[in-house]
Amino acid sequence: MDFAFSREQVMFKKEVIRFAKKEIVPRVQEHDLKGEFDFTSFRKMGDFGILGLHFPEELGGGGADVLTTVLAGEALGEAGVDGGLTLAYGAHSFLCADTIFRHGTDIQRKHYIPKLASGQWIGCMGLSEPDAGSDVASMSTTATRQGDSYVLNGTKMWITNGPIADVAVVYAKTDPDQQHAGISAFIVDKGTPGFSAGPPLIKMGVRTSKTSELVLNNCAIPADNLLGNEGEGFLMAMQTVEWDRSALLAPFVGSTTYLVKKCADYAKGRVQFGKPIGHFQAIKRKLADMRIFGEAARALVYRIAWCKDQGRPLNHLEAAVAKLFIGDWSLPVTNDAVTLHGGYGYTHEFDVERIFRDTRLAPIGGGTSEVQKMIISRLM
Amino acid sequence: MNFDFNDDENRLFENVRAIAAAAPAEEALAGQSVDAVSRTLRDILKQLAEIGYLQLGFGNNAQADAVPLMKAMETLAGQARSLFLAVEMSTRVLARAMAHWATEEQKERWLQGLLAGESIGALALSENTMNVENDPLQTLGVRKGGRVLVSGSKNYVVNGSLADRIGVVGMLDGRPALFMVDRRVSGLTVSDRIRTMGYDGLHLAALDLHDCDLPEENVILPPENAGVLDLLRMWENEVLLAAALGMMQASLAEARDFAKSHRSGGKPVIAYQEVGFKLSEMLTLHQTAQLFAYRAVWTMATQPKEGASLIWCAKVFGTEAAERVAGEALRILAGQGYRSGSAAESAYRAAKWTQISGISTEIARVRIGDHALGYR
Repeated sequence: MDFAFSREQVMFKKEVIRFAKKEIVPRVQEHDLKGEFDFTSFRKMGDFGILGLHFPEELGGGGADVLTTVLAGEALGEAGVDGGLTLAYGAHSFLCADTIFRHGTDIQRKHYIPKLASGQWIGCMGLSEPDAGSDVASMSTTATRQGDSYVLNGTKMWITNGPIADVAVVYAKTDPDQQHAGISAFIVDKGTPGFSAGPPLIKMGVRTSKTSELVLNNCAIPADNLLGNEGEGFLMAMQTVEWDRSALLAPFVGSTTYLVKKCADYAKGRVQFGKPIGHFQAIKRKLADMRIFGEAARALVYRIAWCKDQGRPLNHLEAAVAKLFIGDWSLPVTNDAVTLHGGYGYTHEFDVERIFRDTRLAPIGGGTSEVQKMIISRLM
Repeated sequence: MNFDFNDDENRLFENVRAIAAAAPAEEALAGQSVDAVSRTLRDILKQLAEIGYLQLGFGNNAQADAVPLMKAMETLAGQARSLFLAVEMSTRVLARAMAHWATEEQKERWLQGLLAGESIGALALSENTMNVENDPLQTLGVRKGGRVLVSGSKNYVVNGSLADRIGVVGMLDGRPALFMVDRRVSGLTVSDRIRTMGYDGLHLAALDLHDCDLPEENVILPPENAGVLDLLRMWENEVLLAAALGMMQASLAEARDFAKSHRSGGKPVIAYQEVGFKLSEMLTLHQTAQLFAYRAVWTMATQPKEGASLIWCAKVFGTEAAERVAGEALRILAGQGYRSGSAAESAYRAAKWTQISGISTEIARVRIGDHALGYR
């Protein structure tokens, strides 16, 4: 067992931090306050090579392994990029693009991946429904074969990038009588008649990512838009959500490093009772707990990435453990960061307030903490 | 990066597990005399030496051994709680100090016996009056005609009443030194076994040294600025971290097996979310602490500057998680866990020692905070 990164990986992480600090972070607060998606930053991420990092070079990607991809996510968090943009990146690159890459035909790959890797197109994934969140098998969206087409009907909910996406990977039941085995995955392009997105939801955090419902009303798509075979959708979804529990968790880890630094800087400069508050043990304790959490979380995320790089497509236990720990333990840490800043931490002037709101999604998105506990207890 | 252990390492863990499983249980050790515990400890040391466990982390393989050593220690600690601490304070703390700072003659005289499992060692670090920082040390050696007279009071010495020789940490010539004291040397008084809340089979004692007369060859004098106190605490912290992992492993296994076999309301209790979720949280804490410990010792072995604060972090997390996991296990086990002899009950009591001993979690947090602030 060893925990070494290659020199290239270390250099790359530094480059991503440098890039993000210069090109993205200066606009984060403005976009968060307005609740706007930052198209400019997203395109720059594509130009830099982050959006398609783990895809082959011939498809416009960077040819990187999963571990390097996870490091890029960590670097974004460490630079101070907001949770909204990293969430949008995750939904785009992993939940949408990676599913097409893993399960699509050569034609589908060549058509979609270069556009998604560059950021020319934005992708999303439609899995959850208003009445089927964690319980995926109870989804009611259907896909009915009619000649050379599938006709999709249903509503998807909580779709990150929904209002801005050019393409969606949508899960629907081709056999409504079946549970998991009846689920299939489809590619649906923006502009397809019968396919529309609802208005963006107003959220507590990750406000720069646009979230909405997707409506499929007699939406006819070519049969060729089926990903893989009928009935394989659930397995694809499971492989996909594992990204939620690795690469998408990495920014939280990086964000903790960012928080420790931010809070330490504040504690060194803020003088109360005649000395910087950093001299008080209660403040040191908060900083210590932040660091301990960040360091504890790190290897969990690396482990799933490493497992995926070893060709192990499904790592239920490792993924659920990482998601549960980071989801539940990140909240007290960001809460402490706000408290450490006192009244300032409660204002938009300091970004700990935004990080606190963004982090609230950690135990919810990609499977709630309760769902992770169900998975783990079943595997025991 | 690689998260797997190789076949040789896995074989070693199996061998350690087999030895640990055959060792007397905590409650059996608790009732044994000093001589009986000493015999048991010597027996297990011999067996651990034969499979190569005691030698892990010494010699040229120290770096490569770091993570397998942590896993092997966890394995031993999981089943033989008190014996584990007794073995490791002798091996991974005292013997390590010798490997670092002793002369070749001294190594030949003491280290070889410790690593061969032929003798029992102890390290007396905590000063009677200030066991947290121990700085400046109050135990003093004074040179007198080619000999050294050592005086001081030490407390909470693991193996204090069992050890053949004790490394007493004190000051000589204005710098830290290890005085190698034979158990029978005149001027040394070893207290009765200190009764403790946990670690039922552990022999803790206080030492009083009054002009203990030692030949100069019995003084191990590390180079100046060797960071003696920090390193000794670091090694102790690694041992305590492994102890905490072992406690979690044992508590979790006991609670899981019980939850699968104990039925209530017509089904195994693991089928109830309250129980299943508790177990999930326990497993999550155990795995997180495990990986954290592995990464910390790996970092310590490869990049010592970064590693030191990471060990503090891992120690705080692991030892607090151990108490939590044991506590949750007790809830699942109900009356079964509350009886003496339950692994969880024993772990719950012992976990406190892992938080207090070495660097306490409070001091560790202050230091981690200082580190983040750039104050150290």
